[in-house]
Amino acid sequence: MSRIGEEPGASDDRAATDAAFTALLEDSAEDLYERAPCGYLSTLMDGTIARINTTLLDWLGLDRSSVVGRMRFTDLLTVGGKLYHETHFAPLLRMQGEVHGIALEMKTGGAGRLPVLVSSVIRHGSGGEALLIRTTVTDASDRRAYEIELLRRREEAERARTEAEQARVEAERARAQAEAALRQAETDRQRLAEALTALQRSLVPSSLPTVPGLEAAVYYHTASPDRLGGDFYDLFPVGGGRWAFFLGDVCGKGPEAASLTSLTRYTLRAAALHDPEPAAALATLNAVLHEHYAAAGDPRYCTAVFGLLEPAGDDGRVEVRVASGGHPPSLVLRADGSTGFLPTPGGLLVGILPEAPFTTARTVLDPGDTLLLYTDGLTEARTGPTRESLFGDDALLAFAADRAPAGAHAVIDALTALLKGFGDGLDDDTALLALGVPATRPSTDPSTNP
Amino acid sequence: MSLTISHRDTSTGPVLHVAGDLDYEHAPDLRRHLDTLALHEHQCLVVDLSGLEFCDSSGITALLAARRHAHASGADIVLAAVPANTLRVLALVGLDQVFTIRADGADPG
Repeated sequence: MSRIGEEPGASDDRAATDAAFTALLEDSAEDLYERAPCGYLSTLMDGTIARINTTLLDWLGLDRSSVVGRMRFTDLLTVGGKLYHETHFAPLLRMQGEVHGIALEMKTGGAGRLPVLVSSVIRHGSGGEALLIRTTVTDASDRRAYEIELLRRREEAERARTEAEQARVEAERARAQAEAALRQAETDRQRLAEALTALQRSLVPSSLPTVPGLEAAVYYHTASPDRLGGDFYDLFPVGGGRWAFFLGDVCGKGPEAASLTSLTRYTLRAAALHDPEPAAALATLNAVLHEHYAAAGDPRYCTAVFGLLEPAGDDGRVEVRVASGGHPPSLVLRADGSTGFLPTPGGLLVGILPEAPFTTARTVLDPGDTLLLYTDGLTEARTGPTRESLFGDDALLAFAADRAPAGAHAVIDALTALLKGFGDGLDDDTALLALGVPATRPSTDPSTNP
Repeated sequence: MSLTISHRDTSTGPVLHVAGDLDYEHAPDLRRHLDTLALHEHQCLVVDLSGLEFCDSSGITALLAARRHAHASGADIVLAAVPANTLRVLALVGLDQVFTIRADGADPG
């Protein structure tokens, strides 16, 4: 047994090992059977227990005398174990002659149960006939506990996954709802903006008409894009070569002011078709507003200038008659460079009294003359840090005087630039309307020329 | 800036002393005060504006409301001691012809 090159002393170790093996061989086979770390039992082919080791008896809390020759293997099993034994274990054993590692449950003392792994082999006689069944039983408590724990963990993981999935679905639904709400809000906002735009368009003309022999220009500013303007103006023909115009400012802001503006504009247009005389048109408006609002206990009013343009001779001159209801006086920029207000004293706010006096002022626009109408958004624009620092009538007069003579577009352009310079100071609606007779005109019929 | 309204009764009717700002923010104060103001027929409501520092279109509307309130009770209304700038606005909108305007703010008696 010695190998070449083996160190001295190695043979001594081998001798010690052999002695240990000898001691093991002298161990009692009977004791090994009885106290092995697994259960042993042998049964007859009908299952009657012929022999059983102490280990298994101890596990099951049974007494040998009550078991051997008295109980069958299946008597040791739980109901579920019996069932599984009948349906799987026994048929497999008969068919294969052996089965290995089948999980069953055995009854222990009291109501306890012991999970076990069972292996069996059939021992045959010399003639090949089946004699008995040898069975080993291994305690599988730990493995079962491990499996249960594994199962519990898997269930927990599954539950957590399900909860996470539910949370994800909830979050998705909430997100979808938020998006839908956002879309709805955007749609509503869009619709409101469209409605406001449509309503705003009904308050002022989308563009000025072309008036023969006259240059007309307009500027219209609403203090906020979302806010409907309280200022209004219009320019329209009333027959006989005459044109009517008006410009004004209603009290208040927002939708209620807009409905007043709308009523005012269409009342003035209808009144002018009936009688275009400025004082008559304002009197009609006054009666309508007073009846509609003040008589109903909700007084509302506006300021307005109403005017009528009529050709004065064939040299391009235009006669202008204007009446004012509580509105700042119009301004005239003459061709010779002079500038002045066109006073309309005594004109009362439109709509506060059942009968209101309106006085008419008259002037003639020569070629190169321009008439300017404005709302107080211009004269009350703030030019300084305090609310008392207003642009004012005098500054407007001086501004216009510096630019006279000037055509309608030139006046509006200059004032537009001025207003833009006010920046945040322009915090009210502002409307400007300029009507001028062009300075240089061909000597043809004025009514056929733009 | 604010609006102060003081109220005293005289033999001819109540006198309201309106001082401060009669603007969009404060004009409703005057209107509320008017709602609780008892006026009798043939009385005269005097609105003393000597302390008025600012008046915009909301203030004008409130003064018109005072006029309406007085007339509804069969009473008269007088604006007293109207500051120059407010007087100019009243003239511009024709209200100097509608209101009785008295130059001084002295007690009517």
